[in-house]
This record gives sequence, structure tokens and C-alpha cells, in this order.
Amino acid sequence: MAGAFDFAPAIALLPFGSFVVALFLGHLMPKRGALAGIIATVGSLLLSIWVALTVLGGETYNEAIYEFVAVGDQPIQFGLLLDPLSSLMLIIVSLIAVLVHVFSLGYMNDEGETGLPRYYGELGLFTASMLAFVMSSNLLMAFMFFELVGLCSYLLIGFWFRRDGPPSAAKKAFLVTRFGDYFFLVGVVAVFATFGTAQFAGPESFPRLAEAALAGEGEATLLFGLDAQTWFTVVGLLILGGVMGKSAQFPFHTWLPDAMEGPTPVSALIHAATMVAAGVYLVARIYGFYALLPTALAVIAFVGGFTALFAATMGVVKREIKQVLAYSTISQYGYIMLALGGGGYVAGVFHLTTHAVFKALLFLGAGSVIIAMHHNEDMWEMGGLKEKMPVTYYAFLSGSLALAGIVPFSGFWSKDEVLFETLIHGFGSDGGIGIALLLAYAMGLVAVFFTGFYTFRMVLLTFHGEPRSDTARDPHGVHWNVKGPLAVLGVLAATVGVINLVPVHTFVPAVPEYLHDWLFYGPEGLNGTYYEELLHNVAGVDPGYPLGEVGTMLASAAVSLGLALAGSALAVALYRGDSPVEHTDRLGSAKTVLFNNYYQDEYQVWLAQGLTMRVARGADKFDQGVVDGVVNGVSSVSLLGGSRVRRIQTGIVSNYATLLTLGLVALLVGIGLMGGWF
Amino acid sequence: MVPIQYYMMLSAALFCIGVFGILTRRNALMFLMSVELMLNAANINLVAFSFQNGNLTGQVFSLFTMALAAAEVAVGIGIILVLYRNFSDVDVTKATTMRW
Amino acid sequence: MLIEALIGVCLLGAMLTFVAPDRVAGKLAAGISLVPLVGSLFMYATFEASGNALFGGETMFGMNLAWFELASYQLSYHTGLDGISLPLFVLSTVLVPLAILSAWTPIQERQSQFYGLVLFMEASLLGVFSALDFFLWFVFWEAVLIPMYFLIGVWGGPRRKYAAIKFFVYTNVASLVMFIGFATLVFALGDSVGSFGLPEVTQAIADGGLGSVAGVPGETIALVSFVLMFIGFAVKVPVVPLHTWLPDAHVEAPTPVSVLLAGVLLKMGTYALLRFNFTMLPGVATDLAVFIALIGAASVIYGALLALAQQDLKRIVAYSSVSSMGYVILGLVAYTEYGLGGATFQMVAHGLISGLMFMCVGVVYNTTHTRMVGDMSGLASRMPYTVGALVAGAFAYMGLPLMAGFAGEFFIFRGAFASTVLPNNGMALITGVAMFGIVIVAGYLLFAMQRVLFGEFFSATDYEVREAGVHDVAPLIVLVLLVILLGTAPGIFFDMIVTATRPILDNVGGGGEAAVESLGSVLGGVR
Repeated sequence: MAGAFDFAPAIALLPFGSFVVALFLGHLMPKRGALAGIIATVGSLLLSIWVALTVLGGETYNEAIYEFVAVGDQPIQFGLLLDPLSSLMLIIVSLIAVLVHVFSLGYMNDEGETGLPRYYGELGLFTASMLAFVMSSNLLMAFMFFELVGLCSYLLIGFWFRRDGPPSAAKKAFLVTRFGDYFFLVGVVAVFATFGTAQFAGPESFPRLAEAALAGEGEATLLFGLDAQTWFTVVGLLILGGVMGKSAQFPFHTWLPDAMEGPTPVSALIHAATMVAAGVYLVARIYGFYALLPTALAVIAFVGGFTALFAATMGVVKREIKQVLAYSTISQYGYIMLALGGGGYVAGVFHLTTHAVFKALLFLGAGSVIIAMHHNEDMWEMGGLKEKMPVTYYAFLSGSLALAGIVPFSGFWSKDEVLFETLIHGFGSDGGIGIALLLAYAMGLVAVFFTGFYTFRMVLLTFHGEPRSDTARDPHGVHWNVKGPLAVLGVLAATVGVINLVPVHTFVPAVPEYLHDWLFYGPEGLNGTYYEELLHNVAGVDPGYPLGEVGTMLASAAVSLGLALAGSALAVALYRGDSPVEHTDRLGSAKTVLFNNYYQDEYQVWLAQGLTMRVARGADKFDQGVVDGVVNGVSSVSLLGGSRVRRIQTGIVSNYATLLTLGLVALLVGIGLMGGWF
Repeated sequence: MVPIQYYMMLSAALFCIGVFGILTRRNALMFLMSVELMLNAANINLVAFSFQNGNLTGQVFSLFTMALAAAEVAVGIGIILVLYRNFSDVDVTKATTMRW
Repeated sequence: MLIEALIGVCLLGAMLTFVAPDRVAGKLAAGISLVPLVGSLFMYATFEASGNALFGGETMFGMNLAWFELASYQLSYHTGLDGISLPLFVLSTVLVPLAILSAWTPIQERQSQFYGLVLFMEASLLGVFSALDFFLWFVFWEAVLIPMYFLIGVWGGPRRKYAAIKFFVYTNVASLVMFIGFATLVFALGDSVGSFGLPEVTQAIADGGLGSVAGVPGETIALVSFVLMFIGFAVKVPVVPLHTWLPDAHVEAPTPVSVLLAGVLLKMGTYALLRFNFTMLPGVATDLAVFIALIGAASVIYGALLALAQQDLKRIVAYSSVSSMGYVILGLVAYTEYGLGGATFQMVAHGLISGLMFMCVGVVYNTTHTRMVGDMSGLASRMPYTVGALVAGAFAYMGLPLMAGFAGEFFIFRGAFASTVLPNNGMALITGVAMFGIVIVAGYLLFAMQRVLFGEFFSATDYEVREAGVHDVAPLIVLVLLVILLGTAPGIFFDMIVTATRPILDNVGGGGEAAVESLGSVLGGVR
């Protein structure tokens, strides 16, 4: 009997079908192709749930379904890997995709946008690429769909191509992530060269081969004469380049705020479930590899912690609602990286899940506000929208509480676990990695304060107080297709934390920790238990409890919750009341730095245009002048030589005769000398 | 019998006179005559070696050369006539229109 | 026999088109060029030969007739296709009809002569890819230049004479150098080979027939002829620093000619490199691997940088051809299955993609009469289909997965990275650096696309800009579909390519220890 796994390819193929249908037939269809997209993504969602239920039954799937090419014993294949992690992610992606499609009806169709078949086609392709990426069974296939995700984000960010901003932002997004993907591709090639395979799972998968090689068994081709640990770390960091590009980690984060030029539903999809999530998902996917490499883990955690703090500080001063959300995305993905680097595999996936829900919610909420505000995104022109759009307000508030990490909203549970895991592994591990984790933890902790602050600054400025502009006094209404997704996500954002109530479980064992169980008892070599063993045995990353297990947990939770509340309280204190005023000037020169995003864009633009373009122009001058100059020089010399030599042809017969005679004499003398006549 | 060297000396002298004429004269008719001298120098050689070797091949060749010289003179005079018609002169250094 | 039939059709068609009235010449040529297309597809469908033509492998569709004797050498009319040449043969027959179709709009003068020359060139190209005797091959090789010279020189842009002469002289000098190289090789083989047949020569070298001649040791002769042939073919590829004829030729050539120039003519260079240098003299190739790999990497990076500095769309694509062909060199010198196979695959992939790009630029030029990046913007709103194809082509050029460019490049990267022709994983290092080309290529294409295709509509020239006609857009769509087809199912060509490249690897010992050993000795010598 055909089971869920036999239909799994359809999870990606359905949205791909909607891409084809919407793109080519969309203009003939009602709603311009939206229905095709909704039907396809709902189909994917149902299939994903079916797959997840099958996985819950203890089955997993790891088979090649299409052979790309085969050379000898090293084929390049497309395969599906369906295990707890991927089936969870499939549900997240397809759920968000459904909601984004529905929301787009309100955001795009009702607003009378043109080019909708293209929009829904690209949305379908985007979803299809991400779903295929999630199901990938090997690193190459993952890379391929990773790139396609990048293409789709390029197309969608640049959807409004008639304006100047979106194409530029799209280009930047693709280029910056491409820079990261360069390292990723080198990493993929290096994995192939090292292990001869890029499979994620199974006894012949590359994480397992790496483990064997580190244990001194098995075969792995080590390059450049490095020892196994060093070379694998290099490979791991190369792959990490792609992750940092896609997940917008410092210093590759600059594309993401610009990507706000795209339609807001697309931003929701990019930030919550597809493009940005792809990066950290990849780390989770090959966690069996990273868990072997303490240095790589330390780098991941440190980058994550730093990005969390760095981005959160920039979010504090932004005026546009989507900009705040953009920086919060960067910051939140920093937390996920922090968790993964800090040995908190479950915590990372948990935060990925909750973040997908509440960030999708916040973006869609922002989209709703933007519709209402006639596409004005400046929070200082909003205010008082609470009464005008209560559904959006309460949903948005739910998402904001989750983002700020206020108990009992979902974000609290996941962020708390992220910080807790990092903390205990920081204490428990010896040497550099322990210190790196603790530093990263500290940065993550400080970022909690900023998160609370910018979140509530955003909520207060948008919804509270008196309306500060005419559009805010008389906002545009929104329909069910906007409110529906918001309501669904609003409830989820408040409650999705129950899937992993680890702290509560510690006290009341009757309270289940579903996600923990789900991820810990997966298939051989792909589950949390196994990763913990690897962390312990190979990387030397262990938990340590300075205040005892319960005490540490409570202290950690109390500190993070306290900071979140303090940040929120500060925001409320500064921006409450009917007509809040700007306080950013109090920051002094720091404000300028923050407004300019620490001049990250400037130096990257300089790298691209100032440096690379200058080198390119120099190369062009060199090419035209020297290389082509030599070529043209050869012809000039020939021409010049010819014009000189032809002067011999005087036209006077006597001269020719003289030359003839001289030539004959010279010849005779020459032959004579050679022949020894003299 | 006169040794072959004398004939060769004579022939070389004749040839050199011919070359000298070609290199120094500007009159086309003088050119023609100089060429005749050079041809005859060759003829002397041919005949002398033919006599020396005791066969007639060289003499036959010299007969050929004479016929050739006659034809050459005919063509040469024709060229000189055309030269005169085009340049109103038989000075070879005047006719330089086909240089570079 | 089928090869001769197709070449014959092209030649007869060329003559027919020459005398046809201008009015019908375009349609007539398009119709005639469908015959080789159908023929080559039939060949592909029925192809079942395996092995390399030069190592006694089976070939198909050709013939082998004694032609005449030159001194002690038997020259023969020997043709045939194996897994390396068939994909390129098919590529040529696919691109020519599309190029003819794309010529309908821009070519408005002397049409019958134009199309006649194109068909004549197709005949020569098919000959180049199928000939297995050096003499015959060289005739075809040179015959390609003649129509190309006229096509650039007569129908080209303002500086067409300069470009045509530069192209002709440059490539002809290269042919001479190459000819000397090959002749050196054959004469050094002495009595061990009695013909100019490529299989015979290859076999004789593989059997160690290259002894010392006149006191010059065989290794030196091999080295000299390798270098001469490499220079000769490298001009055609083109490889930095022998590339400067290419942008001039491309910029001046009319669109359909650019398509054929980039799509097929450049592949003659890499095809010949593979057939001659890398198949016949693997020892020298592995000895010189470090230089060849560096040249390849330099072509990639330098070509991409040059493309970055250009303002003319055609120059951008032309320089990026230099960059892409650098990958082919890198793949060839790797001497691994994925390297050689990927290089051959990349020839086909790049043929389609660069053809597509030149056609798109051509359609834009036909409409706007400018190719300068600053002279127009926002074309996407006026000509959506063309722009769609252009975007697809640009992403294919950037190596987007599931398009042909990625397959070729990835195979090359994978093969070259794992290659052991250089000690200390030198190839991995060089490949890693060369791969940075994928970032630069994305840079210049994205910048150009942003400025030309998107934003507010603007055109510096006073022409009405709207979607081009069906026969202009149709070839673009066909090429996009082919690129995606090859990208999703590269096995279409890759499988047969691998069967044909394996004997080369067997001959060199798989790029393994033997090569590394010989490298040590030569590197010592080079230093």
C-alpha cells in the first residue's frame, strides 16, 4: 500500500505545479492564480501532516528518487530524507505558505496590483524550492534548492520592478547571499572530495564518515595535509558561509533590511519560513557534522550571539515598522545560531519553530497595518490603530509578546531554552569553547533587553496613543483574508510554546515536552540523543550547572524574563501616552551610528563598487592597453615595418639591377666562405 | 690549344662589362646592348666548355641562346617603344610610376 | 554516411541559398537547417557507440576511405562520432536554425549571401566535430574561418573591418602555430605512424613511438608540440591573455553570428584541446598542469573582472564567455571523470547559454538600437518575454541549479577539486579560487540587469520599444527550455561523454600517482 512517503515528492511538486499554472494560466484564472497557489500549498500542508504522522509512527525515509548523473560509484542523486526534523519543518513551511497565499489575496489582489500571475507563480516556486530543500537527502541537493530559494527571493523582492528600490534590493539580496553561497559551494565540493558522498543520513553519510575518521577509522581524503579535526572544521566553516549569507548573520546581514522593498507577504515568507530559515535549518540538518567540531560550534554560537545583540541595537532606532521587524529577524536568527552553536539542538529547532509562527504573524500584522495606512510604513505617522483594527492589534500584540519573550507566550519558552542551553554548555565545557559560549550567552542576554524595548516601542507607536496622521485617523479597512491568517497565527503564537515546556516538565513530569521527545528519538544518527553523545565524546561540549540543575534553570529564566520585562517597561515608559515623542536624540552620536547601521552597508558597497569596480576598471585598462596593446602592437609593427621596407622598391630599374648584382655577389661570397673556396 | 681559363677570363670580362653597363647607363637601348653582352659572355662559356669536353651540347645551347637573344631584343625593343611613347624618353630612371 | 549526408545537405543548401532571391533566403535557410537538426537528433536517438574514437573506440555514422598518399603518409577521409563529439555535433545543429531565425529581423541586406555563408559554416563546423583524420579536420577547421570573416566583415557594426581582420589574422596565425605543433609531433613519430589519422597518431604516442629525433629527446618534442598546439587552440577558446580578438569580434558581429561564434566556434578550441593535447599527450598535460590550471583560473577571474568593467551588453557577455571557458580548461586539466566529463558538458551548456544571452541582447538591440547599459532602463515593462528570457539566461550564466550552467560547472568543480594532478592538493586551491568567479558573474549580470531591465522605462534612442516578433522570441524560449532540460537531466549528454572520456583517463592512469610522479620530475626541471 502506498504510504505517506510515496506521496512525499508531491509536497514540493504541488507548489511547483502552481508555479507553472499561475505563471502561464494565471491571467485566465479568478484571483489571478492565487487559488492555484492556495490549493497547492494546502495540499502540501496536508501531505506534510500525513508525513509527520507517519514519522511519529516511528518510520523514517531516506531514499534516492532521481539520479542526476552517475559516474562510477559516486552518483549525484536527488533523494528525500523524511525524519522528525524535516517533517516538522515541512509543516512549518507549508503552513506559513498557505497563510501567506491567503493573506496575499488581501494585500495584493484587493489592492489592485498588476502582474499577479507572476507574483503567485514566484510564490509557488519559492515554496516548492524551500520544501524541496527541507526534504533534501544530501548536501548537493540542499545546495541546489538553497540557490533556487535565493533566486525566488530575488524575483519576489524585486517584484515591483518599475520602481528603483526593489530591483536594487533584490540584487543586493542575491549578491550578498551569493557571496555566502560561494563558500558553501566550495564546502560542498570539499565534502565530495573528502568523503565521496554528501548524504545526510545513513551509515555512509558524511557526518558519520567524519565521525569515523575522527575516531581514526574509515576513509576520508584529507586535503592540504591538515589533520582530520582541522580540515573538517575548515569544511564546516565553508558550509557555514552559506548559512550566514542566507540567515543574514553578521557580516552578511545587510541584504535583509533592504529586502523589505518586496511585498510584505513575501517578507513574511522570507523571514519566517523560507529563505532566512533555510540557513539555520541546514545547520540543524547536518548537526551530526557540526557536533564533531568544537571550533565550528564556537564560531556558530559567537556569530549568533553577536548578531543577536548587534541587530537588536539597530532595531531600536528605526522609524519604519518593517525595518524594526527586519532587524528583529536578524537578531532572532542570531539566537537560533546561538542555540545550535551552544549545543542546544532542540532549543535551536524550537526557536526556529516559534519564531516562524510569531514572525510570520508580525509581518502579516505589519502588512495589515500597511494596507490600512495606504502603504505608509512610518510608525511616527501611525498611532491609535488599536481601536480601528482590533483583530490586527490583538494578533500583533500576541506576536510581540512572543518576540519579546514574555511568559507564557511561545517566544519565552524557546528563547529561554536557547539561553539556558548555551549557558550550561558554556559552564560545562572546558577551554576556548566554554569561554566563547559564555561570551555569546552574555551578548544574547543583553539582546533580550533590546528586543523587549524595540518590540514594545513598535507596538506603542503603531497602535497606541492618538493618530498622528490623516491616514491613521481614517485607515483603510481589511478583509477576512487578512484577518483570518492573523487570527490563526495569533493563537499559535500564544500557544505553540506548549510543544516544549521543558522548564515546567522538570517540575511536573506529567507535562509533556513533545518537541524534545520528537527530536530526541529520531532515526539512528539523526537524533538529539546521538548529537548529545557526539558533543560529549568528540567536541567536549558538556552541560554544567553552577547552581544545580533546577537552580540554574530558574535563574536563567528569571534573568532573561526580567531583562525582557525591563526592556518592555522602558519602552512603555518612554512611548506611552497620547502623543509620544522621539527619544532617539538622547543617544547622541550613537544614534547616527545606529541609524546608519554601523556603516555596514557603506563598507560593503565600498567593497563592491569602490574596490572591486576599481580593480575591474584597472583590469579593463590593462586589457585594452597592455594585452590588446601587444596584439595591436604586433600589427602596427608589421605595418610600420612594411611601410619602411617598401621604400626599397624605388621603381628605378638600375637600383633593382644593383640589388640583384649585390645579392649575387653576397651569395657567391657566402657560398664561397661556407664551401671553403678561399 | 688555348687553355679554358682564357675563355673564362674573356667571358667574365664581357659579363662584367655588361653588368657595368646596366648599372651605370640610363638609356634603355644601352641596357639592351649590355644584356646582349652578358648573354654572349654566357655563350662563350658554353662554346668553350663544349670544345673542352668534346661534345656539342654546349654549342647547341649557345645556338638556342642566340635565338632567345633575338626574341629578347624584339620584345625589348617593343618595350622601349612603349616606354618612349608613355614617357617621351628612353631614360629608365624616369619610368618610376609602379613603385610603392 | 549520415555525417556526410548532413554536411552535403548544408553545402548544397548553402549553394542554393546563395542563388535564391533575398526575399525567400531566410526561410529557405531555416528550412534547410532543419534537415541537419533532424538528422543529428536521429543520430542521438540511435547512438549506442561507446569508447573514445581516438582509442579505438567505436564510432558511428561516419566513413573511412583512403584519400591520397603524401610521401609515406596515407591521408584518408575518416569521419565518425563518439560520445565527445556527438553532443557538440548536436549543439551545432541546434544552434544554427535558431541563429538563422534570429537573423530574420536584423539582417536586411544581401540576405541570400548571409544565409548561404551561415550554412557553409554549419557544414564546416559539422566537419570539424566529426573528422578523425588530421588533414581532413584541418581543412574543415580552416574552412570555418572564411564564412566567419565575411559574416563579420560584411554585416558587422561600424568597426567591422578591424574586427574581421583581427579575428581572421589572429586565429589564422594560431592555426599555423598549431599546425606546426602537430606536424612536429607526427614527423617525430617517424615510422611508427603511417598516416595523419587521429586514432593512429594517438595510438602511436600511447605505444611510446615518440623517440628522440636528431638528438632531441622525445619528451622535449612532446613538450614543444604540446605548447604549440595549446597556444594554437587557446586562441580559439579563448584563454587569457590570447582573448582580445573575441570582444571586438562579438561587438561588431551581427547577433546571429555572435550566437554561432560564442555558441559553437569557441567550443572548437576546447574540443580540439581535449582531442589533441589532453588525449594525445596526457603526460605533458599533467606535467604542465600547474600552468594550465593557473591559466584557466586566471581566465575565469580576469574575464569576469573585465566583464564587470564593461558598459556594452555584448561586451559583458563576450568577456563572460572568456570567464566560462576558463572553467572548461580547469576541468580538462583535472584529469578526473567529473573534470573531463564536466568540461565537455560545459562546452554544450555554455554553447546554449551564451547563444541565449547573445540572442537576447540582439533582440534588445533590434528594438532599442543601443546596447549600452546607461542608454536604457525599465525594458521589463515593455518587452516582458524577451526580458524573461534574458533573466533566465543571466541566471543560467550565474550557474543557477537545475539549469545547464550549474551542472557543467559543478561537475568541473567537483572533478577539479578532487584532482590529484598537482601535489599538495594544488588543484583544490586553484579551483577554490577560480570558483569565486560565480560571485563576480552574479555581480556584473545583476548590475546590468538592474540598470537595463528594471526601474522606470527610459530609452536614449528614439525608437518605439515593444515586444519583439514571434520569430525573435521563439528561439529564446526554445533555448531557455533546452537549458533547463539539460540542467535537470544532464545525463542526456553526460552519460555518453563519460563513456568517451574514460579511455583518456585509463591512458593517463586516472590522474593518479603516475601523473604526480612525472610532475615531480618536471617541476624540478621547470624550477
